[in-house]
Amino acid sequence: MRDQIAKYTAKLIADRAARPDGIAFAAQDDRLIADGNPELARLAEGVLSQLSCLGLVAACPALPFADFLVARAKPGESTIVPRDTETRTFLHDIPFLRRTELDSDPAPQIARFLANRKGVVVEGVGIVASGAVTVEQAFINYCSVFHATFVKYLRDLLHEGYLIHGEAEAVREFRDQWLRPLSAEGLVSRHGSLVEPAEILAEIETVGRYTVERGLVDSFFGNISARAGELIYISQTAASLDELAGCIDPVPLDNSSTTGITASSELLAHRRIYEASGAAVILHGHPKFAVVMSMECAEENCPITDCWKECPRVRFLGDIPVVAGEIGAGGLAKRVPPVIGGPGKALVYGHGVFTVGRADFAEAFRAMVDVENWCREEYFRRLAAV
Amino acid sequence: MHGWTGNILRVDLTTGRAWREDIPREVLHAYLGGRGLGVRLLRDRHRLDPFDPDLPLIFAVGPLCGTPAPTAARLTVVSRSPLTGTVYDCSAGGRFPWRLKAAGVDVLSIEGESPQPVVLAISGESAELLPACDLWGKGVHETVALLAGRGSVATIGPAGENGVLFANIMMGEGNSVGRGGLGAVMGKKRLKAVVVNGDRPVTLLDRKRFDHARQDVMRLFRASPVIFGELGIAEYGTPALVDLMRQRRMAPTENFRRTVFDGAANYSGPALRREYRPKNDGCYGCPIQCKKSTPQGEHLPEYETVSHFGALNGIASLAAIVRSNTLCNELGLDTISAAATISAWGEWRGRFPTADEVPALLADIACRRRDGELLSLGSRRAAAALGRPELSMSVKSLELPAYDPRGAYGMALAYCTSNRGGCHLRAYPISHEILRKPVATDRFSFSGKARIIKIAEDTNAAVDSLVACKFSFFGATLEEYAELLAATTGMEYTPQGLKEVGERICLTERFYNCANGFTVQDDLLPERFFSEPGSSGEGIEIPPIDRARFDEELQKYYRIRGLTAEGVFADADFLVRQP
Repeated sequence: MRDQIAKYTAKLIADRAARPDGIAFAAQDDRLIADGNPELARLAEGVLSQLSCLGLVAACPALPFADFLVARAKPGESTIVPRDTETRTFLHDIPFLRRTELDSDPAPQIARFLANRKGVVVEGVGIVASGAVTVEQAFINYCSVFHATFVKYLRDLLHEGYLIHGEAEAVREFRDQWLRPLSAEGLVSRHGSLVEPAEILAEIETVGRYTVERGLVDSFFGNISARAGELIYISQTAASLDELAGCIDPVPLDNSSTTGITASSELLAHRRIYEASGAAVILHGHPKFAVVMSMECAEENCPITDCWKECPRVRFLGDIPVVAGEIGAGGLAKRVPPVIGGPGKALVYGHGVFTVGRADFAEAFRAMVDVENWCREEYFRRLAAV
Repeated sequence: MHGWTGNILRVDLTTGRAWREDIPREVLHAYLGGRGLGVRLLRDRHRLDPFDPDLPLIFAVGPLCGTPAPTAARLTVVSRSPLTGTVYDCSAGGRFPWRLKAAGVDVLSIEGESPQPVVLAISGESAELLPACDLWGKGVHETVALLAGRGSVATIGPAGENGVLFANIMMGEGNSVGRGGLGAVMGKKRLKAVVVNGDRPVTLLDRKRFDHARQDVMRLFRASPVIFGELGIAEYGTPALVDLMRQRRMAPTENFRRTVFDGAANYSGPALRREYRPKNDGCYGCPIQCKKSTPQGEHLPEYETVSHFGALNGIASLAAIVRSNTLCNELGLDTISAAATISAWGEWRGRFPTADEVPALLADIACRRRDGELLSLGSRRAAAALGRPELSMSVKSLELPAYDPRGAYGMALAYCTSNRGGCHLRAYPISHEILRKPVATDRFSFSGKARIIKIAEDTNAAVDSLVACKFSFFGATLEEYAELLAATTGMEYTPQGLKEVGERICLTERFYNCANGFTVQDDLLPERFFSEPGSSGEGIEIPPIDRARFDEELQKYYRIRGLTAEGVFADADFLVRQP
């Protein structure tokens, strides 16, 4: 398990989801081990010893947004309730512990929260997340909380503005120094139609890795496919975009085989996009500014409250169509295909971006970069006006 | 009290007496219902022989039964298995559990032995024994039809009457209480059927909270490719796994001599859809509806059944496989053990049965005549009697299902640690080793598997005690079901708390088994898996399992469970300290 701890520590650093010096993992098989920042490692060990889980991560997020959310929370509140689809579906809500509530040994308190949820924000300490089955699962849950707090905080800022001391400076630093320019420049990808299976698999692996390396998405969030004749090659469910070797299912368009039962939960959406648009490849990810902006709606006095699944409208952010729809069989597969063909891109409310390439991944990748850049720019334009 | 009724209905078939008792609240809270409650109620009888009249046959529902909680209209039947000798439980869905709960009981406990065949009829507060001499000998379909007017039916077929060691109890809608031969226990008590028609509503404490949690569950179902994906089990039933197991090269073939069967495409999910145009025919109140039947209502086989009557016996005819399934359902035979026992016998005689020979063999097994007399004992006893014990592909005498352990090492370990013998459902590592839920694990590695199996066993023991279907957990987790439970009962359970309940149940089962002589010697796979490779190819190697590495992981499992190196309890008073 030490190799797993080393691997996911490195990924947290590469994804810039945690401070390099503020990461610790614990894992237990027939004995419990912990590694990383000594203080956090002691905490991780203390928490995991009280849980029926295999792995746990305790780390300081690379951004202070989770702590800001706690500080902004009203007295009496004890959970962060994001509205993005990913978090709502898989985490429901995120409990937090205020700095003032922490005991001298907070491990039992944290364990009580993790007895009921996958991750917890501990003000002044960081995010602690468990993995019932693997160390990787703890990493994924940490990233989910990091993603959720990122999206929630930026969205709250747009609606409520700065409320506490130090926020404006931190956000300025985040904008000017932490964020990196997103670009598709310099990527090496194949041009033109993909035909040979080996070529298709290699290209999907490469492009999946690019999306993570370029900071477009966190590794665990998204899926990717290419159509070749009567087959869709699609990444498997719960596959990391930067580790797709051996995790791509060839699925017959006529459903003559069910081998693809392990394919991404968005297989149906991909299939319908191919049918509706004639695309050759599809890229789907959860770039954070796109997720934030997808939830911005100018409609006033709208009777719909469950916007993420009920909104029947096609809204636009610039030239990007935005539709509602939950993941898998939850409606997204119905609403994205009709709108993506023309612009080659679409946003799903509180979820993420779909882009297509008519011939190859270069077009789809550029489109996703453009969407996220547009949303990032628009976000800061609107924030300045708050 | 919400969620639970707090009542047990006891029936003594020897005296004909039926009476109700209260179940202590602390027992309900500590064991939930279903499997956990049934196992707890065996505490004073777990040393009794499976056919001892004093051994109870326990039907237990859970606190979510009767509510709209997804997949929770289920019960668990608990006793001691005549096939394995272990404590045994099996869950089944349908209207019967819901009707039983609506009769105002959490548990129906049946003991004694009737002097003549009877049917137990439960109607509202009353319970009576009806003569059933005219039903004895009849098949399941006819028995259900004759009793349907009185309510929902659970019955045995000729196999249970005749004491076949893998006889099922069959629910009227086609669900089965399968594997360990509890149908034979029921037959020994000369109880042909139970029919129940309760109609009391189950009350929820907090409807709004419940509805919110239910929506969370349904959202996760819709997000799960295995459940509601277009290639998932809601669309194709569990035969959706046929193509996957073929591709992963771990479909047991010809008594596990090989792991790829060329004819598997004939009985895949798409093949069943093409040939039969099936309709949904799943468990009552279940949104998944993974069971399928023909438009005429003939139940179509599940994955294990198509694979074992197919690949395991070298039969590629879908029509023949469907016929075998129908016949097993009619006779009240477990399909996995029946097919696996026939397969072991086929290897012994040097020839697997042809498709045309199977129906007569099944009838002979159910009636315990000709070759069927030997085969009715299950593969371990049959192979031993034939002088080739190594041909039984079983653990603790329970025939292995259709996941070759050489293709999934967590599955290999879980077959052995399972308290009811070679069962895939106790820890269900196929979920992560093959289906990538909740996350993928390396199927060819033992690393971490001892802990993973332990956690999964505890989790599933809680699930079996709620009682919910394990397929729910391809999407949902204990987080959402703990919320449903809290909203129903007002008791604030957490996922961690439920796993602790599950741990208590698993250890209690293990304690019972150890008290009946089970040790590390019984936690072992057949030698074939350590010495013979599977069918490698297409870039996938299926080598024999490394015995030393397997043993190492098994010892880790024992340490995690707090057991000795012999797999038994150092603490003889373990049971005394349990609630």
